[in-house]
Amino acid sequence: MIAALWHNIDYAACVVLFCIGLYTVITKHNLIKKFMGLNIMETAVFAFIVATGVVEGGNAPIMGPGVEPPFINPLPQALILTGIVVAVSTTALALGLVIRIWHQCGTIEADELREAE
Amino acid sequence: MTTWPPLLVAVVVVPILGAVLTPVVGQWRARRAADWALGTMLLTSVVALLLVARVADGGPFSYVAGGWEVPYGIELRFDEFSAVTAIICLLGVLAIVFSRRYAEHALPEVRIPYYYALLLLNLAGMLGFSITGDLFNLFVFMEILSLSGYALVAVSGEKIAEMAAFKYLVMGAVSSIAVLFAIGMLYALTGSLNMADVASRLGGAPVAPVAVAFGMMALGFMVKAAIFPLHIWLPDAHAIAPSPVSAILSGLVVKVGIVGMLRLYQIAYTSRALDLEALNTVLMWLGALSIVMGAFFAVFQDDVKMMLAYSTISNIGYIVMGLGLASSAGVIGASVHVFNHAIIKATLFLGAGALIFRTGKRTLTDLAGVGHAMPWTVAAISVGAISIVGIPPTAGFLCKWYIALGAVEAGHPFFAFALVFGALFIFIYYIRMVNAFYFRPPRDPAILEVREAPASMLVPILVLATLCLVMGVLGRIPLSFIEPAVTRLLAPIGGG
Repeated sequence: MIAALWHNIDYAACVVLFCIGLYTVITKHNLIKKFMGLNIMETAVFAFIVATGVVEGGNAPIMGPGVEPPFINPLPQALILTGIVVAVSTTALALGLVIRIWHQCGTIEADELREAE
Repeated sequence: MTTWPPLLVAVVVVPILGAVLTPVVGQWRARRAADWALGTMLLTSVVALLLVARVADGGPFSYVAGGWEVPYGIELRFDEFSAVTAIICLLGVLAIVFSRRYAEHALPEVRIPYYYALLLLNLAGMLGFSITGDLFNLFVFMEILSLSGYALVAVSGEKIAEMAAFKYLVMGAVSSIAVLFAIGMLYALTGSLNMADVASRLGGAPVAPVAVAFGMMALGFMVKAAIFPLHIWLPDAHAIAPSPVSAILSGLVVKVGIVGMLRLYQIAYTSRALDLEALNTVLMWLGALSIVMGAFFAVFQDDVKMMLAYSTISNIGYIVMGLGLASSAGVIGASVHVFNHAIIKATLFLGAGALIFRTGKRTLTDLAGVGHAMPWTVAAISVGAISIVGIPPTAGFLCKWYIALGAVEAGHPFFAFALVFGALFIFIYYIRMVNAFYFRPPRDPAILEVREAPASMLVPILVLATLCLVMGVLGRIPLSFIEPAVTRLLAPIGGG
């Protein structure tokens, strides 16, 4: 059990990170903190997917003289590049909304906002 | 033959290009942005109709983007479920026509081109979502439509619009992450992202990781579809958004979760990697709960759009219950209700939008007696209300009948009972609405002086209301259209 966990320490770390993010999203009242939790969750999933492509002792899959197999699977990295772009746009939109909420309601604490409604 | 595959690309590329260029057109002439968006969407509709005609003729077909062979390239695949593109285009066109006057009234002028750009992007995301055969591509389109959806909720700039949008964004982003995680797991298990290829390779995979992947994906799509305990983002977002946007969000965007579920079932049933009994049971119960709870909350709403938003939760409950029954009639009824509910809910939301546009009021109390001042709009709303309750011969009846049949067929008559019970509840609050519009004395006599909605609003509403009736009379056509797809879907598990 311990050995299996140690062997898959990267996946275990991703799961822990994911849970930390989810906890933050659910429990924090501050909208920016909520969103930071969301970013942590995103990072956990990105790290997980990149970790699935790792090959023990693998090289970067760039063709050229003197490059030997085995190669690391480049596809997850390419996917996550897209994922990061999506995450950045989500963050930008969320922060834009937070600024608007601040201007209109004077607070970004979810519990105070509920009273304002 | 060779002319078809580019059409499959065009149905996504045309609206995306149109969306990108809308602000440019808006810079040149702000008023031309609406025409540009309408033109783009009409062109897309022609393409979508050609695609649907072809799938009705010769079954599913696909196109491999960039010429990379499956499973390495991205496959665009058009099957019977993808025919939802037709309804996306229809509502898209009508919402854009409706927006012409509504946006001028509800939005600051500088925002109007961006509003149309977001609307087109949203529609493009949904079109892409329904035709892609690649899991990661599915995620990308889902994010395109979700992000534009969050922004569209906030676009009106009303006081709590941003708050509603933020709530929607947080729930939506968490669900997207769950789906992405599931896609990552499926890739790790099979080494492929092509849906058909994943399904064929998943057979021998260990059960536990497959269960986690399917579970996460189902959870993500359930949030997108706003099923009962995960619905909390929906009422505010759908009620606050400008009415044409509400029609799109309620009619189409929540259905993305359903189409996603159908894709998940296609993978799961074909691969037979897992017995889906547990998921189906959860879906049936949550579906029944959504029907009853959505209707229950709706009864207590005074705000018309809030009521319609809760009614969406009920109707998604019907669809999800039909899927969970996993019997032929249930899934057929659910798939057709995806189409019919889109038409009905768009009628109601656009109708409500027209009332709000003319009277500036949005509660049943304030709108009492409006039926005498705006007879056409309120007549259309009444047709929508009758359809959504499911009274024959309207569009809502056949699908609900099929779902009830499916419940009996699957040996769960209790769920047929829940369905009828929910329909009664729904009947109560729609009767309340129609009653207020026609028979209650107006609170403010000035409401009798308002004029009928302008033509650009009335035409889309009347077209949709007519469709509510036509789809009821010609209901056999969509049913027999979707049947081969459902038979194919259920064949591996011995259903169909």
